[in-house]
Amino acid sequence: MEFDTQLLFPIDQILLAVMIFLIMFGMGASLTVNDFKTVARYPRGILIGFLSQFGLMPAFAFFLALYLELPPAYAIALILIGCLPGGTTSNMFAYFARGSVALSIAMTTASTLLALIMMPVLLELYTAGFTEQISSEMRAAGADTDFVIPTGNIVSSLALVLVPVALGMVLRARSREWAKTAEDTAGFMAIIVILYLIATAFIRHTGLFLQTPKEIYIAAICVGLLGFLFGYWMSRLFRLSPLFQRAISLETGIQNGPVAFAIILLSFHEPIQSQMLWLAILYSTFIVMTSSFVTLYYRKIGKFDWEVFKNTTIHNRLFGEKYISRYPKGFLPPRIKNDPSQGSNPHQIREQPDKSEHS
Amino acid sequence: MNNRVIATNLAELYKGAAERYGELPAFATRKSSQQWEPVSFRDLYEMGLQLATSLIELGVNYKDHVGLFADNRFEWILADYGVQLSGSADVPRGTDLTDEELIYIVNHAHIKVAFIEDKRLLKRVKSLQKEMPELATLILMEGEVPNEENEPNRKKFQNGEEELNGEEVQNHEKDLNVDKDLGSNGVYSIEELVIRGRELREEGDRRAEQRMEQIRPDDLFTLIYTSGTTGTPKGVMLTHANMISQMQVIPIELNCTDRVLSILPIWHIFERVFEMYTICCGVCTYYTSIRTLGDDMKNVEPTFMGSAPRLWESLHQRILKRIKEAHPMRRLLFHTAYFLSRIYKGSVYFLRDREEKLRPASKMKRALLYPLHMLRWLIVVPWYGFFNVAVLEPIRMSAGGSLKATVSGGGALPEEIDRFFNYIGIPVLEGYGLTETAPVVAARTLDNLVIGTVGPPVPETDIRIIDIDNGAVQYPDPDDRYGGRGRRGEIWVRGPQVMKGYYRDQERTDEALEEEWFRTGDLGMITFNDCLKILGRIKATIVLSSGENLEPEPIEMRLNQSPFIEHSMVVGQDRKYLGVLVVPDLKEFRDHGLEVESLEELANNEQAEKTIRSEIKKIVSPKNGFKSFELIRDFRMLEEGFTAGEELTSLFKMKRHVISEKYSDKIDEIYRPEPAKS
Repeated sequence: MEFDTQLLFPIDQILLAVMIFLIMFGMGASLTVNDFKTVARYPRGILIGFLSQFGLMPAFAFFLALYLELPPAYAIALILIGCLPGGTTSNMFAYFARGSVALSIAMTTASTLLALIMMPVLLELYTAGFTEQISSEMRAAGADTDFVIPTGNIVSSLALVLVPVALGMVLRARSREWAKTAEDTAGFMAIIVILYLIATAFIRHTGLFLQTPKEIYIAAICVGLLGFLFGYWMSRLFRLSPLFQRAISLETGIQNGPVAFAIILLSFHEPIQSQMLWLAILYSTFIVMTSSFVTLYYRKIGKFDWEVFKNTTIHNRLFGEKYISRYPKGFLPPRIKNDPSQGSNPHQIREQPDKSEHS
Repeated sequence: MNNRVIATNLAELYKGAAERYGELPAFATRKSSQQWEPVSFRDLYEMGLQLATSLIELGVNYKDHVGLFADNRFEWILADYGVQLSGSADVPRGTDLTDEELIYIVNHAHIKVAFIEDKRLLKRVKSLQKEMPELATLILMEGEVPNEENEPNRKKFQNGEEELNGEEVQNHEKDLNVDKDLGSNGVYSIEELVIRGRELREEGDRRAEQRMEQIRPDDLFTLIYTSGTTGTPKGVMLTHANMISQMQVIPIELNCTDRVLSILPIWHIFERVFEMYTICCGVCTYYTSIRTLGDDMKNVEPTFMGSAPRLWESLHQRILKRIKEAHPMRRLLFHTAYFLSRIYKGSVYFLRDREEKLRPASKMKRALLYPLHMLRWLIVVPWYGFFNVAVLEPIRMSAGGSLKATVSGGGALPEEIDRFFNYIGIPVLEGYGLTETAPVVAARTLDNLVIGTVGPPVPETDIRIIDIDNGAVQYPDPDDRYGGRGRRGEIWVRGPQVMKGYYRDQERTDEALEEEWFRTGDLGMITFNDCLKILGRIKATIVLSSGENLEPEPIEMRLNQSPFIEHSMVVGQDRKYLGVLVVPDLKEFRDHGLEVESLEELANNEQAEKTIRSEIKKIVSPKNGFKSFELIRDFRMLEEGFTAGEELTSLFKMKRHVISEKYSDKIDEIYRPEPAKS
């Protein structure tokens, strides 16, 4: 399908840029230097998170594009989405899904920095075939240059996006209160801008929703779902605690949408820019819905683990770090039996659970 | 129900909890905001056995009554363990009891041994001991026993603290014999009794275990004296079976991962049953206080909390105030969220048949409304979801963020506040009960949360609604089309929780118990979805929102002695303070030269108002022996007198519910918040 009208008017582009700035600033305002330190506290969780975020996700995006035989511009956009770092929205979802918020924040922080290296590498790796296609199409249309992924541009757009994050962090370091206000205001404004953009897009391009082939919808919905599913199973396979499983799962599936917008706007050009943007818009819209359902589901299955975790951490908060909570025999399910604090306090870990539990 | 400890008496329950929950914390005391001291179920039970052994040593017999005069604190529960494990029953009261009450209770219940909270109360008790000849032994719960008290006893117990060998054991026994002779004036600290008990148990003393064997379900575990200014306090006899039945029927599921904040006075049965229930389920209770409540909620993150309406009122106020002070944007967000939640919950209540149903519902109407509510629910759900997460969750965080539900009891919760908490996502499970019913008769559950009612009766409990005038059974009524639902009358209760009677007071026991039925004195009805709704009181007792009970009659009698007052009715049920409706004496005012023709004129006369105000102030004063919560803050003069057959019975007693209903706006006027003073 072709875009006969421009997808975004200049005013929309400005609004989008403002939104990206606000969201990234808000993200910065919610981070502290300490969050980088927590990364070191969960080396296993971070590593597995890293594997699923930069290992599984781009691969899924690639195979999904192949399987659905997506047009190259969409395929590239899908792979781009697959390579993105996590966004702060995932932290909020992790909170409500009764996952480890600390791990979620740590993963967001780590992946945002690592993206500077990983994204260009992964894009080179996975998009090669599709760029060929675009080049040949362009040559057929009479162009005399090859299409290449603007790696340098992508890195500089990523770096540019990190500027407001840094500004937000500076604010946070100066004043906690102001940072909180900034974070909330930014979040709220961003929601309004997104709603406006979706609404205007819907009104102006009602036809577009109908014209879009179903493969594109499937791709936009499934890339996130596959991320949730395999992020969960992978961390389960590595026997991480249930809290970590849920955090990694959501972190893998939920990508930083605004970064995608920034990269597409700054680094790509027509004829493929509009198509790429469209997929990014669809992904951002559907991921909110899918992650809401996944969150509700996790919330339900995670209820017991979460209550044990909460109670144990509060014991440690009030009775001292070294206090050990001993639940009655048979009360804890095997998966958290050896560590009711689920990774948040080394003192709670039991080497030989059966001996330490008084029966 | 499988996670509750099963037992036949409280001593067995305590033992079972120690075996099952072992080293989990049972109670925690605040040292500073992030530093609390836990006591495990096992340690508590061990200390309880030690204390029980000492109590037996001090001469506490099976079925004796032990005084327990203290407020909510860890030592209270320890004392209770000691008392239950020694086969005796406690007689609890808070430290705010008056001298008269103290003397009455101690003598009426034949208390020989009593726990005393602190030195201040100890001093008071000591000064009154002449009037309480049987009270021989006092146990101080806080701090050391003052030196001037009882030198010989101190010395003896200091000996006891040293390690014992065979020889010393003999000395010890000798000492204890001496103690029995000296005991007539003994004051001990709870700590030294625990230490002494430990030594005795180390020597192989197993008298506590023998006592536990003796306990029968029908034995008293407590004797609670309810306050009241008419006549004398009544000693409600509650048995182990009463309390154990509550452990089985309370419709709230708790487990070892729950945390409960405790703030109410423990001698109230409502808080007591709650603490017993937390022990039964392995839940840790954290003691808090009004002063530190906000802070403790954030640190402890309670999952459950029981409190009187007063606390929910103040929490409601605090949240509203914060919203008012917030940025206009935030305020708008809150109001939107609240509105959406109201719409959403409204539909949920309708669809699940959880609306207050006072009238038989037409099936037709319901069938028609059903799809509409379905549609409304579908439209609202995503928006509600978003606002619930973004706006309501941070508000819930101010109460710790983990509250699964709360319980309100000990008085009626104003419906507005009830709705507020339910809408912001903190379910309020209002319950109904009295000291005489140990206490839970009915309670809402998460599944059956009908606002405006106190939920369905708990299992094994039967309810009757009895016509006030002719005594006919209104509910259950098999002849009625609706089985008697929707009819008003006095609530009668039958079930395993109903008390044995009032201690040494056959007359009042007979008044309250009609065979196995207990007459609550409350007016109520069964709704059409089988929940109990409380409509008011038949008995005159007023329960303030702070939980204080008082009898209006003595106050009215004193007021009516004023020549200016013909009739008066004290009001204040579920309010913060007392007010009074006054029928002024027209003749007296005219005799004093006030030129008024009618009561109506008099009611609006400034001079008269001044006179009445000063009369009330003069009569109901602390000087005349009224407690601070009995003082009258405001009054309204009525423009009509009371007439027999209307407001008065043929015996000229006031029909309180008739008067309350007729003058409800006057009463509301008394409690209307005054315009803000700058």
